This record gives sequence, C-alpha cells and structure tokens, in this order.
Amino acid sequence: MDLSLTEEQQLLKQSVEDFVAREATREEVVELAESDLGFSPEHYTRVAELGWLGAAVPERYGGAGMGLTDAAVLFEAFGYAALPGPFVSSAVVSALIVEEAGSEEQRAALLPRLATGQAIAVLALTEAAYGWGAEGVHMRAHASGDDYVLDGVKLFVHDAIGATHFIVAARSGDGAGLSLLVVDASAPGVSVRRLDGFTGSECVVRFEGVRAPASAVLGEAGGAEAALERALARATPVLCAYQVGGAQAAFDMAVAYSRERRQFGQPIGRFQHVQNHIIQLVNHVDASRWTTYEALWRLDEGKNGAEVASHLAKAVTSEGFVQAVNFSHEVHAGVGVMHEYGLTLYTQLSRSLYHQLGSPRWHRRRLGDLLVDHDMGPDPLE
Amino acid sequence: MDFEPAYTPEQRAFRAEVRAWLDDHVPHVEGDQDSEENYAKYRQLGRELGEQGWLRPTAPTEYGGGGLSIDHAIVLAEEMDRHNLTMPPYYDSGGSLGGASILVWGSEEQKRRLLPPIFRGETVTWQLLTGPEAGSDLASTQTEAVRDGDEYVINGTKIFIGGSHGADSFWTIVRTDREAPRHQNVSWFMIPADLPGITVERMYLLGDGGEGIGSGYKNTIYFDNVRVPAENLVGGENNGWAVASTHLELEHGSGGRIGRNVTFERTRERLRSLPSNGAHPLDDAESRGLLADVFMETEVQRLLGLRNFWMNRSHEEMSYEGPQSSYFNKMSNLRVAQTLLELLGPYTLLDDTDEFDDQQGWFASFQRNAIVQLHPGGTADIQKVIMARRIGIGREVRERAGKTVE
Repeated sequence: MDLSLTEEQQLLKQSVEDFVAREATREEVVELAESDLGFSPEHYTRVAELGWLGAAVPERYGGAGMGLTDAAVLFEAFGYAALPGPFVSSAVVSALIVEEAGSEEQRAALLPRLATGQAIAVLALTEAAYGWGAEGVHMRAHASGDDYVLDGVKLFVHDAIGATHFIVAARSGDGAGLSLLVVDASAPGVSVRRLDGFTGSECVVRFEGVRAPASAVLGEAGGAEAALERALARATPVLCAYQVGGAQAAFDMAVAYSRERRQFGQPIGRFQHVQNHIIQLVNHVDASRWTTYEALWRLDEGKNGAEVASHLAKAVTSEGFVQAVNFSHEVHAGVGVMHEYGLTLYTQLSRSLYHQLGSPRWHRRRLGDLLVDHDMGPDPLE
Repeated sequence: MDFEPAYTPEQRAFRAEVRAWLDDHVPHVEGDQDSEENYAKYRQLGRELGEQGWLRPTAPTEYGGGGLSIDHAIVLAEEMDRHNLTMPPYYDSGGSLGGASILVWGSEEQKRRLLPPIFRGETVTWQLLTGPEAGSDLASTQTEAVRDGDEYVINGTKIFIGGSHGADSFWTIVRTDREAPRHQNVSWFMIPADLPGITVERMYLLGDGGEGIGSGYKNTIYFDNVRVPAENLVGGENNGWAVASTHLELEHGSGGRIGRNVTFERTRERLRSLPSNGAHPLDDAESRGLLADVFMETEVQRLLGLRNFWMNRSHEEMSYEGPQSSYFNKMSNLRVAQTLLELLGPYTLLDDTDEFDDQQGWFASFQRNAIVQLHPGGTADIQKVIMARRIGIGREVRERAGKTVE
C-alpha cells in the first residue's frame, strides 16, 4: 500500500504548477472566462508542445502512454488553476473513445492528431432530452449511398467552440443501435453556438444534412454502446481529478481568507461557524479525492470493481465540488462573488462539470443497478 | 498509488502460521456473546495470544510485548478480523491507550512493572477520562490527587467507564494542582482497581449491551480517599496534558482502519432476504438508489480510514486526518442509519434471531450505535475543534498532531 504520488508524478505535478503559474495566472484565467472563445488556443498549443495532451494516449499512437493516474495528476493541477480549454474533453474523453471504439486504422489516423493538438475532437452525445446513457441518444444517422446523413441537435456539448471534430453519437442501421461518427466541424451543415447563461463551455451543435462517409463510423455501425461505456468509465475519473483540483483550490482560498480577514477584532477563522464551513469543505475535498484516485488505481491496475468505482467517484466528486465551492462562498461572503477575486471561476465550473459525463443522480442510478450483483472482490485482507 | 496492502513472503508465511493457530484457539461461543462464560473464553484467548507475543505484537519483548514488526501486527489484526475479533479480543481501553502512553512517557521502572501484565493479557484496564463536570472539557477534571508522603490521595468521580465485566486497573487523568494554569495541572495514574475507597456502580445506556464503545453498560467510578502509590504517577506531576496528547491522538482516529465494507455487504444481504410485495426491493429503482447511498457513505468512510492507516503506518506527518475520519464516521453513520430506516423498513430495528431477523440483531445495533457513537473519543463538535486547529485556523499557531510512537 502506498497512497503517495510517485517521484515521476510529483515532478509532473511540479512542472504543471510551474507552467500554470507562468502562463495562466488567475488574472488571465478570469479574463479568459469573459472572452468569446472561453479559452486560449495558445495555452492549448503550449500544453501540446509539452507533450501533456498525449498523457492518456498510448505511445504507439504518438502519445506519452502514461497511466490514467498520471493523467489525473496533470489534470488535477489544471483544475486547481481552473484552466479552461478542451483538454480533458479532447485529449482524454475523445482519445479514449477512439481507442476503445475505433478500428486499428482509425486509431492510427486520429490518436496522434489528438495527442499533438493538431485536432481537437469533442463528444457530441447529449440532446434536448438530456441524459448521458445510450438511452439519451435519439439522433439518427441515415444511410445514403456510401454515406451517412446526420440531422439533429446536440445540446450541452462541452468544449464545442474551437473543436475541429465531433464524435457524434447517433442511431443507425436496422436495429437502431448506437453509432459513433467522427465529423469534421467545418463540414457543410454543422453549426456551433455557445450557450448563454451561468454556463462555461456548453454549446449547442446543429447538424443539418451533414454528410459523413462510412469510414467516419468508429468501429461497427450500430455496435458502439459497449465501447462507449468502457471509454467513459475510464475517462470519468480523470475529469473527476480536474474537479478535485478545483475543490482543493476553493479550500485553500477559504483557509487563506479566514486567516487574513479580520472582523470583530480577530481573524474570522477563530469563529466556530466559519471553521465549520471549512471543515465541511475539506471533508468534501477528501471524499472526492480518495474516491477519484481509488477508481483510477482500479482502472490502471485492472482491479475488480473499476466500473463501480468510476460511478462512485463521479457521484461523490460532482457533489463534492459544488459543496466545496458553496462552503468557500460562505467563508468569503462579498469578496467571493467579485469576478476579479477568482472564486467564481470554480463556482461556475462546479456547476457545469456537475453534469459533464453524468450528474450524481445519473451515476447513483447506475451504481444502484450494478451494486445488486457487484462482486466486492477478494477480501482486502487476503 | 497502491490501495492494497502488499504482503512480503515473510508476511504470507506468518499469516499461514497465525491462521492455523487461531483456527485452533479461537473459542466456540454460543448464545449471548457477552455472557460471563463467553467473556472468560475471550480472556483465555487473550492470555494465550499474550504467551505467543501476539497480543501486543509491536510492543518490546522486555515489557511483555511480541517485539514484532508492524508487518506482523497488520497480519495479526487482519486474521483476528476474519473471526470478527479485535486485538485484544475484549474491551481493554486503558491497556491499549494507556499501554501506548506508558511506552512513550513512562520511566524504565514503570514500563517493566506496569506493562507486562497488560501486554501478556493477564489484566484488563479501563481508561477513565470523563467526569460529571468534565466531558469534552477534559482538562477541567475535578477528580483530584493530593500528595501525602509516598502516596497520592484521590477523591472524585469518573463516569461512562468500561463495560460489564470489571477491570483490574484504571488508567486515569486527575488534577494535581489547584493553583497552576489550565493544562499544567493534571497528571496520569495507573490505579489498581481493588484499592480501598473505590466504588464501581453500573450505568444503563442506549447501547446494545456488552463491551466496548457501543456498550449498553458503563460505570460510574467513585474515589473516596483512595491512596495510590506515587510510583504509579506516569509522565511526571502536572505533565498530564502532554501525556494526553498521545492518548487522545490515538482515540481520535489517527490509527486508521483497513478492511471490508461490512455495512454495505450486510445491507445487501438483508435486502436480498426481505419478503416482497410483487417486485423485490432489489429490483426496485428507489431501493437500489438507497442501497447506492449506503455504498457511497460507507466507501468514503472506508477510504478515509484506509488513508489514515497508511499515513500512520508509513509515518507520514498527519494533521487533521484523524479527527476528520472520526467526525465523518459519526455523522455519516447517522445518515446511513436513516437511509436504512427507509430501505429496510422496521426490519432495521429487529434483534429477533429466532424468527424475523437473519442478521443476529446487527441492524438494531447499528441503529443504536449510530447515536451512541456520537460522543466516545470526543464528540463530533470536539473533532471539529481539533480539525480547525490542525488546519491552522482555530488558533494563532497551527497545532501539530500528537506523538503516537516513541
């Protein structure tokens, strides 16, 4: 048993923190959040140059071939800085989907481009009747000659602005099974609009008579459901690590503020009600952290119960991030809602990421179904 | 990261030896687990473990311990767990916590005199912390020791003590100076339970009977001019708060825990055997959701315990983690208890092994203990106070965790 980071992981963490401190200060990140694109393509290029986009991509496809835990260490540090951009969406979620669902030829063609940042692909799965399971996919991909024609609307697509490709989930074939099609974002009939509101990178992506060749289908048409589930079970705890980083930042900000802010002649951290906020906050951070990293360990080591652990991690961590931010706001009061202070970056992220790859309610539902017959694995004492 | 213990070939060999030995020596008990007859069997097992050097495996051999490595201790604890037993296999709060404190703070002479009976399983020791006037505010204890020649004369009362089978010694903190500032006025004593002037009176509580933290039987201990040899004062006069830091650190959950998620497994088992109206509870989406709630709560409990176990054993510097796990478990078990009320219905209240309960009263115990366990080892609120100090917001200077190993 060893719950510490390896030496390589510590070095990686340090490098990422240095990078963020140098190239993405809080002021810059606050500004980015207000920008049209919502992220910095320069950041994306720099991260690609550093080789970090390939973290979750095997070496034979041009990636760094790290474990998911290594990737999580990297993306946790991004989450800590609230660094915006399609990092997890493209380099982890989409890369794992291509790896799980694609043919060898497709993997060889797509993965190196995702790992180097030449292509940015994001998953377009959810629709107006919102849901992350295959049951939420109603859009059809009609066969037309050798092509497929896509018509429909994908809603709440994260990081669609700036994407070069979409991995579109649609129903095709006689059995109307699930297919995944890689569609060029610049193809005629594709349009993207960022959604207004208390939103982050969520977009609506419309497909109007968009033609995609048969070769765009990852793997077998109508047979992508199992591969998609496998990919999402692997990608989810990496996204959780990004959330853990955000929650940790909300905690560190609350602790620092409670020490320096004085009221009634003493630091507000002396007041037990304020202490209680910080204690609830750290409990959410740690519950999120350890469910996340245990899931990553199970996935990396091929341990029993990895799928259950992945659902557990997202259910706990999405809730944990929201609660962590809420308690941090209770500590910060007025200062916390000033844009320039930066806490609201995490507030917004905690709301958006609550849903990305499934909300706690959705994962709780999946957990409930899996737990009925879940094999708890060998006795840890054996 | 690695969330599983890795066992050396030596540990594996030791496990085989321990397993075979325990299979031979763990007594067969019937009926009330806590009957005098069964308790005597567990005490006998303790003595036999003591002879093996396994009762307190890591304690030095010169004081009656096993002189074994932490690796051996882990294997022993795990193998006892297989028999649903702890080490020692009976309630010995003063032996476990007092023994650890004496190892850190006792004089050489005290270690040689006081520790062997504890480490060999010859005696049982209760810890006496709480007083009628001093619960969470332990430092305000009114039980008092006054020096008189080679003895201290002790007067006062301690409550919520021990279990139902009596003890040989009491490990207790008392005031030794009326004038000195708070925290510089207390001292620890190891007191033979049979000294004149000691009266033990039973208290009847919500717990489910038996020994230990969830015990329905605790005691009030009255000291009326009890004369204790001065050589039984441990850690120096008025140095009791420093000694307490060792003791309390262990009580506040810093030792961690490794093991199965028993609550979830029991819940699923009980759910499986429930009668149904049409759709079985395990096929019902709402029941599955509640089962998932039990799983989420108890997995977080398990992981925080596992983290603390690892930190403690690998000598990582700890801060708020001990009281965090303690606090989280207290509050989480209240939530789980309520979820079980909903999920299992009135079956969760049963201890009716003869007919309607196939879990030997386990859920009824859980319901009671969720309440009872809110206070032992420090109330939930006290755990939060300690967490705040360790996080560095409760006081000017950040508090460090107490020393638990010499």
